[in-house]
Amino acid sequence: MSSPEAPLLEVHDLHVTFPGPHGSVARAVDGVDLVVRAGEVLALVGESGCGKTTLARTILGLERPRAGEIRYEGKPLDYGIGGLRRYRRRVQMIFQDPTGALNPRQTIYEAVAEGLRVQGSGADEEARVVSALARSGLRPPERFLQLYPYEVSGGQRQRVVIAGAMVLEPRLLVADEPVSSLDASVRGEILQLMLGLVRETGVAILVVTHDLGLAWNIADRVAVMYLGRIVEQGTTEELLSDPKHPYTQALLSVVPEKERLEPQILTGEAPDPTRMPAGCRFHPRCPVVQAGEAARLGIEQRCCGEDLALSPVRGAQLGSQHAAACHLLE
Amino acid sequence: MTAPLLSVRDLRVTYRSSAGDVPGVRGVDFELGRGQTLGLAGESGCGKSSVAGALLRLLPPATAVTGEVLLEGENVLALPPDRLRAVRWTELAIIFQGALHTLNPVKRVGWQIGEAVSTHQPSVSGKEVQRRVGELLEFVGIPARRIDDYPHQLSGGQRQRVLIALALACSPSLLIADEPTTALDVMVQAQVLKLLQDLQRDLGLAMIFITHDLSTLASVCQRLAVMYAGRIVEEGPSEEVFEAPAHPYTAALAAAFPVIGDERYRMAPSGLGGDPPDPRVLPSGCSFHPRCAVAQAECPTVDIELRGAGSGRRAACVRVGAGR
Repeated sequence: MSSPEAPLLEVHDLHVTFPGPHGSVARAVDGVDLVVRAGEVLALVGESGCGKTTLARTILGLERPRAGEIRYEGKPLDYGIGGLRRYRRRVQMIFQDPTGALNPRQTIYEAVAEGLRVQGSGADEEARVVSALARSGLRPPERFLQLYPYEVSGGQRQRVVIAGAMVLEPRLLVADEPVSSLDASVRGEILQLMLGLVRETGVAILVVTHDLGLAWNIADRVAVMYLGRIVEQGTTEELLSDPKHPYTQALLSVVPEKERLEPQILTGEAPDPTRMPAGCRFHPRCPVVQAGEAARLGIEQRCCGEDLALSPVRGAQLGSQHAAACHLLE
Repeated sequence: MTAPLLSVRDLRVTYRSSAGDVPGVRGVDFELGRGQTLGLAGESGCGKSSVAGALLRLLPPATAVTGEVLLEGENVLALPPDRLRAVRWTELAIIFQGALHTLNPVKRVGWQIGEAVSTHQPSVSGKEVQRRVGELLEFVGIPARRIDDYPHQLSGGQRQRVLIALALACSPSLLIADEPTTALDVMVQAQVLKLLQDLQRDLGLAMIFITHDLSTLASVCQRLAVMYAGRIVEEGPSEEVFEAPAHPYTAALAAAFPVIGDERYRMAPSGLGGDPPDPRVLPSGCSFHPRCAVAQAECPTVDIELRGAGSGRRAACVRVGAGR
């Protein structure tokens, strides 16, 4: 792993907005700072609509930020055609639904070779496709080359998608819910494959998920996103064994295996990014505010009126990056 | 002892296709008492949704369904069409997977629930139907004023609630929920699960809960049945089955759900090698043996039946009973 001074990918104060209904503006990503280091697995966790997929798409250059910047190996992302093409040789995407991601009329060979052709890296194409398939656990690779996506199982299809991304030997994979459409039994196999790729090739993975169990299985660090902002981040151990933000605590409490926690089921769904609540954006659903505890502690006014950024968690070990954005912790 | 609410005997479902017959369910037996909850788990294609389809007789007409499905002592598989229509909804209702597409997008949600009520109780006045629909909506946690909303005006979780209200419209005694939370977000999933648990308890509903997510079933259901290649391979009290599986397939499924905070799962995702078998060419002997980590010499030849695996538990594995 490289030193913290040279992160692979840096996201600085990123804002991405979309036009909403009646002239409103949806602030999908609303001030995000994030770092992905070479060879690490970072899980970006949150509910639907929290902006995690928009953040991932912006990192890939598929959306343009309204403000802020993305740096790859220290250099700002170049949105020119050539710049983006060079960038995508290093940064590849794995989509949620392998069936939708593959062209049903392309053989597996063509699907995996497509990235090489787009990038104009034509030499020894077949050898590279075969090696990418083998590395993705499709063995013997020759058996798969001329098959069509419908002729293989769902788990194998996701392996084909991963082979298509890995054939370019990227430094960073952005995986959006890579196992959520797969059966439980296949899920573990695909996660093992991802972890193996990190260990063998040193690729870093930014995995977007709502599944905290997945984070425990493969992630070095976790960032929790709520309504366009990172509200807590830290190493997987810190964040999942000692969550500080009430939102992280609630997410963790509804994981079915967590029998010992009383489930804190938040009411409603993630609120509307066109109408950002004042103060802490979580306060309308926050159990600490709702239970009156914030009022007892005399912080309710700040919860409802004072926006806040991530700050280091007090009492964390030296060198820890555990940080959370909650008035309760100040 | 009173007769169980539902008793399924040697249920077999065979799909007809141009390429020949495909066995979907190969002899399933189970019972469900009034107010009890059963979880049916397994991978895609294991036959769990076929069981649900057979219970309600919703499978394509050419499908061969044999065996017995006794609901309150009446064999559902032999019911004449009129009686079947009466049994569906009033005794036995289903919440489908892919809920978001089940509602009619051009009809108001209240109308859709009202239709179910008035079809089965034609004598009830329009005003009474409206009142009942409002009640049902409130019951599942949607304000009655949303009665005139169209499905697109509701969120995913709210639409799933509408479907639950719809299933409850004619006060059934048995509810089948086929992957009711799969497409939903974590927090909404927790909300819907809690609603189903509350309803089950308050109304004394019996419930069959179908999903591949063993961890959800273990926390919601009293009993758990795990299916593989068209058969139940393990059955018993859900906590016991999840915590101490007797069948290696159940063990692999259970291990796929990591316990957060448990070092054994840290950086160690666990899965099951291989793919579910093609139902047209099932492996010989125990159909799980090609994927089984602890298969023994006799497994490719011995087609093992469910057998006692401790108090109230059954499993279909040579290592159970004799081997212990």
